[in-house]
Amino acid sequence: MAQGSALAMIGRRLLQAAPVIVLATFIVFGLLKLLPGDVAVTLAGDNATDERIAEIRRIYGLDRPFLVQYGVWLWKAAHGDLSQSILSGEQVVTSIARCFPHTLLIVVMALGLALLIGVPLGAAAAARPNGPVDRATMTLASIGIAVPNFWLAMILVSLFALRWNIFPATGATAFSVSPTDAINHAILPALALAAGGMAEVARQVRGSLLDVMSSQFVRTLRAKGLKTSTILWRHGLKNIAVNLLTVTGLLFNRLLAATVVVEAVFAIPGMGGLIVHAAIQRDFTVVQGVVFAMVIVVILVNLVTDMLCAAVDPRIGR
Amino acid sequence: MGYDDKFARLSRREAMALASAAGAAALINSPAFAQGTPKKGGVLKVSANANPSSLDPQTGGAGSDHTMLFPMYDTLVEWDYETLKPKPGLAESWSFTDPQTLVMNIRSGVTFHDGTPLDAEAVKFNLDRAKTEQRSNIKADLATVASVATTGPQQVTLKLSQPDAALPGILSDRAGMMISPTAVKASGNIDRKPVGAGAYQFVSWTDNEKIVIKRYDKYWRANERHLDGIEFAIIPELATGVRSVIAGQNHVAYSLPARQKAVLKRASNINQASGPTVYCQQIYFNWGRPPFDDIRVRKAINHAVDRATFVKATLDGVGEPAFMNLPSSHWAYDAEVAKLYPHDPDKARALLKEANIPQGFELDLIGYTDQDSIRREEILIEQFAKVGLKAKFTNGSIAEMSAAFFGKDKKGAGLLSAWTGRPDPSLTYTLLYSKNSYFNAARADVPAGLPEALAATRASENIDARKKAFATVQRIVMENALACPLAFQFELDALSPKVKGFKPNLLGKPKYEGVWLES
Repeated sequence: MAQGSALAMIGRRLLQAAPVIVLATFIVFGLLKLLPGDVAVTLAGDNATDERIAEIRRIYGLDRPFLVQYGVWLWKAAHGDLSQSILSGEQVVTSIARCFPHTLLIVVMALGLALLIGVPLGAAAAARPNGPVDRATMTLASIGIAVPNFWLAMILVSLFALRWNIFPATGATAFSVSPTDAINHAILPALALAAGGMAEVARQVRGSLLDVMSSQFVRTLRAKGLKTSTILWRHGLKNIAVNLLTVTGLLFNRLLAATVVVEAVFAIPGMGGLIVHAAIQRDFTVVQGVVFAMVIVVILVNLVTDMLCAAVDPRIGR
Repeated sequence: MGYDDKFARLSRREAMALASAAGAAALINSPAFAQGTPKKGGVLKVSANANPSSLDPQTGGAGSDHTMLFPMYDTLVEWDYETLKPKPGLAESWSFTDPQTLVMNIRSGVTFHDGTPLDAEAVKFNLDRAKTEQRSNIKADLATVASVATTGPQQVTLKLSQPDAALPGILSDRAGMMISPTAVKASGNIDRKPVGAGAYQFVSWTDNEKIVIKRYDKYWRANERHLDGIEFAIIPELATGVRSVIAGQNHVAYSLPARQKAVLKRASNINQASGPTVYCQQIYFNWGRPPFDDIRVRKAINHAVDRATFVKATLDGVGEPAFMNLPSSHWAYDAEVAKLYPHDPDKARALLKEANIPQGFELDLIGYTDQDSIRREEILIEQFAKVGLKAKFTNGSIAEMSAAFFGKDKKGAGLLSAWTGRPDPSLTYTLLYSKNSYFNAARADVPAGLPEALAATRASENIDARKKAFATVQRIVMENALACPLAFQFELDALSPKVKGFKPNLLGKPKYEGVWLES
């Protein structure tokens, strides 16, 4: 891929991102406003009178028209200011900077586990379609997809944390504070998240490999006398790289969303906890900020995936 | 601190008040894990149930804040753990020189964490700020305070617009938490930089993650405080909080739902603590419109519920039936009022017939989506069906559904929710059953005589007179069936065996006075 076309692709993608961000944050903002109740009720406290709630709406500008409120937020965001939390007064950027690394660590570890286990499983299954390994792998994969991750999370906690005391049951440590402690805390949540991903990777790898293995060039390779395993690992995997990259990119985005539940089970102060807490309390600046950040992450991940695909398969870049 | 020391510090009036409630205190079944001699040192790790709304007691609003505020802010008045009767705190004594004048003598030698002396000026500054600061959420609490004057270096005199014997109780809550005037004047907003005069001073607050406080060396009761500090790990998912205690990451998880009792029982290394609280589960009625504008329907509901079964089925015994908004161990509980609504399906059916409510009538109720709420709803649906009512619950999040019911939308005829309780019962009854209160969903008229009866509970500071006045209030409220109280949810705490000296309290908001850690 020529350098010029890569830059053009990045530029094009970033331009496309702008309307996506506006649309996504607008829809979320609209949904928050459609729900009854607002942050003023929370701010007013337990003994609130109607007058007090109305007063708070005035103080925080919550009584202004819907579009004005959204416009003010968007204008500030466009200038790099994600505002501050209405409830806690903390800058939203600060909250996100604190929470995102926790979430990122679990997602990256889960993704790593999914690939590390899913790819060999899928390849082993494809080596002998309908053989015992294949059957076992696919059964396992079906279970992996069917089991809800919060349930698996609780089972993992009760075994590895409560019974055997190997890993901590809750909480998180920042990677920057202590990498080993951070990883130690992230292992169980990552495992719980990875199960579904593992299964999906295994199925995708198996399916794509079977396609490749039935193609003509593989027949030629066989005719040349190469062993099945050589064909599989050297030629097969190279040919399914684009598929695998695409699956990985999608998986990353899905894992990011799945952390909402898993973070609650493990009391991890990540992005999931941040947005759930904010949405319940109608702290819309925080919700908007998290959505904003997530949209950017997803767009970036897609961009990187596409660029990698183009690098692996020159046909795509053209 | 032993019980005897506490008794010795009480004024004569307090001692008399306590004596009258001795029977109530005996009912407490909480094991105080107080064996052995307290050891100094160690950091208590608490699984906290919610991120605080603010660490400024005047601008915050959530009932879940108190357990994190108490260690940092001492209050003018404190309360007895078992009965919630007021006792001296930062104010070493007080008296009503006439029904509209409250004189408080402030303990001398107490300082805030920033070194500012806690004197009459500081108290006046705090009370004035609570009444005037734009963001203050406790203006209503101090509505009867007309003015505050310093009448000595350590004495303030509160002039009241009307008699208000509830003030000592009110000053044991948010309004009595003293904030350093220096800190407020310096920054105006101390939501995230609290400075009080409590046993522990603020170190850090990471939103939704952790609050760290450390011991304040110049605390006026330093020798009754044993810990080096407290860390609150914020874990809103209570089952996760319990797991963190079982795994040894935290020492305490509090205010747990009853179904966690079985989990705690199975865990070998956990102590349980439980005791009565003023936390009342109840059905709020919108009594301004059909069907609950008809007193007969409200009464029928009260007769239709089988409270004993309800407690057994939903609280696993960690609670007691509620017949009014005070539990049986409270000093103002009235045993006669408790007899008004025995479980009586026949009477309920008769009342409904009288009110022309047909069999199979659909009750439009509102509730919450959490597991415990659903369980409560299932029991009620069953019990209402037995008197020919079809209960239909619309569920949502607490914030959403409460706003829908109490706010301007006025959805639903009734709301299955709870009342978290207040240190003084007059606050509870005023907030729940006044014409313009937020919790009177329809802002409908209240029964004749209720406002006067409520005023009477604040007219005298004599505890027997107040008890009598509250009996009248409770009778009016319950004879008119303005709500259907169901059950008092008892406090249930999970404690690491290392935790000693912890005692639950009737308010249901844990305090950590006298707690120490065994090494």
